[in-house]
Amino acid sequence: MIDEQDVIWLARMAGLEIDPAFLPGVAGNLGTLLAQAALLMDPPIDPLVEPAPVFQP
Amino acid sequence: MVADRPLDQLGAATIGRAVREGRLSAVAVIEARLTRIERLNPRLNCFTEIMGDRARAEAQAVDTMVAAGRDPGPLAGVPFGVKDNYDVAGRVTTAGSIINCAHPPATVDAVLLQRLTAAGAVLVGTQNMDEFAYGFTTENAHYGATRNPHDVQRSAGGSSGGSAAAVAAGLCDFALGTDTNGSIRVPSSFCGIFGLKPTFGRLPRTGTFPFVHELDHLGPFARSVADLALIYDLIQGHDPGDAACSDRPADPPVRHRLDELRYGTSVAVLDGWFRDLADPQGLAAIDAAAGILGATDRITLADAGKARAAAFVMTSASGGNLHIESLRSRAGDFDPATRDRLLAGTLLPAHVVLQAQRFRSLFRDQLAEAFRHHDLLIAPATPCPAPFLGQPTIKVESRDLPTRANIGLLTQPLSFVGLPIVAVPVANGALPIGIQIIAPPWREDLALQAAARLERAGLAQSAVVEP
Repeated sequence: MIDEQDVIWLARMAGLEIDPAFLPGVAGNLGTLLAQAALLMDPPIDPLVEPAPVFQP
Repeated sequence: MVADRPLDQLGAATIGRAVREGRLSAVAVIEARLTRIERLNPRLNCFTEIMGDRARAEAQAVDTMVAAGRDPGPLAGVPFGVKDNYDVAGRVTTAGSIINCAHPPATVDAVLLQRLTAAGAVLVGTQNMDEFAYGFTTENAHYGATRNPHDVQRSAGGSSGGSAAAVAAGLCDFALGTDTNGSIRVPSSFCGIFGLKPTFGRLPRTGTFPFVHELDHLGPFARSVADLALIYDLIQGHDPGDAACSDRPADPPVRHRLDELRYGTSVAVLDGWFRDLADPQGLAAIDAAAGILGATDRITLADAGKARAAAFVMTSASGGNLHIESLRSRAGDFDPATRDRLLAGTLLPAHVVLQAQRFRSLFRDQLAEAFRHHDLLIAPATPCPAPFLGQPTIKVESRDLPTRANIGLLTQPLSFVGLPIVAVPVANGALPIGIQIIAPPWREDLALQAAARLERAGLAQSAVVEP
């Protein structure tokens, strides 16, 4: 569960100052995102699987 | 009238041929479309800017070429629009925001727009979208909502909703949109038109405003497969301005090969996630398509839900990063629906984003395995037909889920791994609904050929709608 204090703390780490009026919406969205992210953590992904961003040197 | 058909009902290929052969004036076509835009756009809100002067000048140039015996190209005089995240020379690319209004005007047209203009097509305007392409309903706090021509109380889908609605209503004869998580396929489904999201890296994004660099695709909308294929043929090809654009040569034109889907092409229906989350109308459309395409096998992508989750995470994180400076300095100028999601994306732990990127490799392998056994896959495009504007929830598996976040449930897992997909409209209810024909990477031709078969069989139909 993400609350507004979590958002304030995380935003500080990210160098952001979030308008208090936006905090409920951001907390709700972050909670949804972390719930989705949790689906990706179990089972663990083999350490040899590489990320797939696009980069061509 | 051309071949006894009213001008409003002609498609891109027919108009282009008639203008090229001197049987129809490009100026007459453009004036007819501008008149229709003037009449219907106030009701639909498809366009953010109508470019009458540019369109008239380009149409005149086409007619002058024809009169001089020169070839203006296969899209001679064909009116089209572009989503408002494509650069148009002399104009600020808003991407549906007011944030970007502080940017300088574009100095040149986006590369795909240049290619279409070189083929004779005539730009009539820029089209409405969700702010920064982050949405599925084209309900934009700054530029208003685009309305669905089939029912103006309903959403046109998004984020390329202005483009799809304009094509469906005959305000233009094709359009270009973008698709990061479903933004071509969702509005195609809701507006009852064809859409193509090509393979990731197939079409250069040079001169478009990004949303999620690692997921953004460009592609066309049209009212027939022949038109979709014609446009696709003309916009293919590498451009060094897009780092993700493949340098593979353009494929041979597919518009001449649309009836060549070989006997024995193996088509499978996506089961599990893609059936469980579809409504009865979407399932009926898939079953009808399966019958025509001889798809008797069903396969389940076990990790489709995870793929959707990973796309969801990557989109928020990448979009948040892209807009971090504006989120710091002027967050209040964002559309509230976009702002809170982007802000949340900036707060995600790095390991979560990297996990999503690594999962992308795994899911790509799952699709590759599916394509070892089948040539094409089919699935519904949306969990339901167009919802009402402002409708807070949609019914999915008997649950009420938030509309905006869940319209892309069936599209997100597939664009996540960059597969080419044709969205095909099926009119089997009071409103249309779309299905997805999914091909292996770089096989847009197969998906277009299957779409053409559904069209010939009478299942896939798209006609101009009078709202």
